[in-house]
Amino acid sequence: MPEGTAAMCKCCGAVLYQNRCASLARATAFSITAMIMMVVVHVFPFLVMDAASIRTSLNLTSAAMALIDEGSPILGVVLALFTIVAPIALASGLIYVCGPLIFGRVAPGAMHVAKWLNRTEPWNMVEVFLLGVLVSLLKLGKVAEVHFGYGFWAFCILMCCMAAAVAGIDRDELWDRLEVAKKS
Amino acid sequence: MIGQLPRAATLGMAGCHTCGKASPVAQGVCPRCGSHLHLRKPQSIQRTVALMIAAAALYIPANILPVMTVVELGDVDATTIVKGMVTFWRSGAYPIALVIFTASILIPFLKMVALTWLCLAASGKLHPSPSLLGKVYWFTELLGRWSMVDIFVVGILVALVQLGNYMTITPGPGAIAFAGVVLLTMFAALSFDPRLLWDRLEVIRLEELSLTKSSDT
Repeated sequence: MPEGTAAMCKCCGAVLYQNRCASLARATAFSITAMIMMVVVHVFPFLVMDAASIRTSLNLTSAAMALIDEGSPILGVVLALFTIVAPIALASGLIYVCGPLIFGRVAPGAMHVAKWLNRTEPWNMVEVFLLGVLVSLLKLGKVAEVHFGYGFWAFCILMCCMAAAVAGIDRDELWDRLEVAKKS
Repeated sequence: MIGQLPRAATLGMAGCHTCGKASPVAQGVCPRCGSHLHLRKPQSIQRTVALMIAAAALYIPANILPVMTVVELGDVDATTIVKGMVTFWRSGAYPIALVIFTASILIPFLKMVALTWLCLAASGKLHPSPSLLGKVYWFTELLGRWSMVDIFVVGILVALVQLGNYMTITPGPGAIAFAGVVLLTMFAALSFDPRLLWDRLEVIRLEELSLTKSSDT
């Protein structure tokens, strides 16, 4: 099938298979950008709040840690899993699988990694967290003055990169390429 | 259009749940990725129903118990999800009230209704068209994650608003119940196999075929 085209199901009209343009290179590039942004998100504050002459700042880990400290360890772990662990696992997994595939090679254990990529995909909730940030900003609007830190902007870029990396590659196409590369 | 081509299940071919490769189910293990092969996800309907009942049970405490407790200058105020939404609505923030209503109340509820409908259709108690149900399934899978937004809001507020005596926010028991609802409905949607819907159509078609044959003779 030529690059940039798709096959449809005769039965229900759903897309069966898409051969997207430069999919491997795109997925790798966007995943690398997402990883860099992940570092920025953790180094710089996410939100800074001034209220009652106290300045508090938030980043992803401190949000999870606050939940753990305030008596909800389960929620803290859930938050950390969905906003930190899942995106890192997804991005690094994509780099590990797609990077060598560009050159027609299969990294050791790439099949297992690809299997786990399928499973982590629905649990990556970066964009949902961003909506949560917006809702909490509106809630805090009356109480305090909240500023965006560099972490917030990096997180926005991270969200776009994750979406582009995941959407850029078709699952079946990835498996086909893995199989072909492994045989040769 | 169905019936012109043989279906994979009748040929004993199974599409791998992980990588999608079709191979004979007798092989047991997918030759490409090494996952176990099944014609359909095992006990799909039972698992979906079980997870959904658990989610429905948690849906009640999730809406009744407070998701967070705000202590402002000694005043203790426990807010539930509905209360938070009503506050936004009263203060004139209609779009955000609608977002919270959709993500926290409507989506979990609709998801449970949709999954019940899908399970009923897959077990042959209802007969709507599979392509419509396929879209319903795709929708429940896509929208479910957005319900997590309230949990994230609680996390952000708890982390930011720690102002000593002036104001502090702590998470409430409703938040855990709510996270449980979201997680369980997500697992329920993942354990459902939409191919069961098309299997049902095949059964109906065969029944009609045998009916017309018997009326011919």
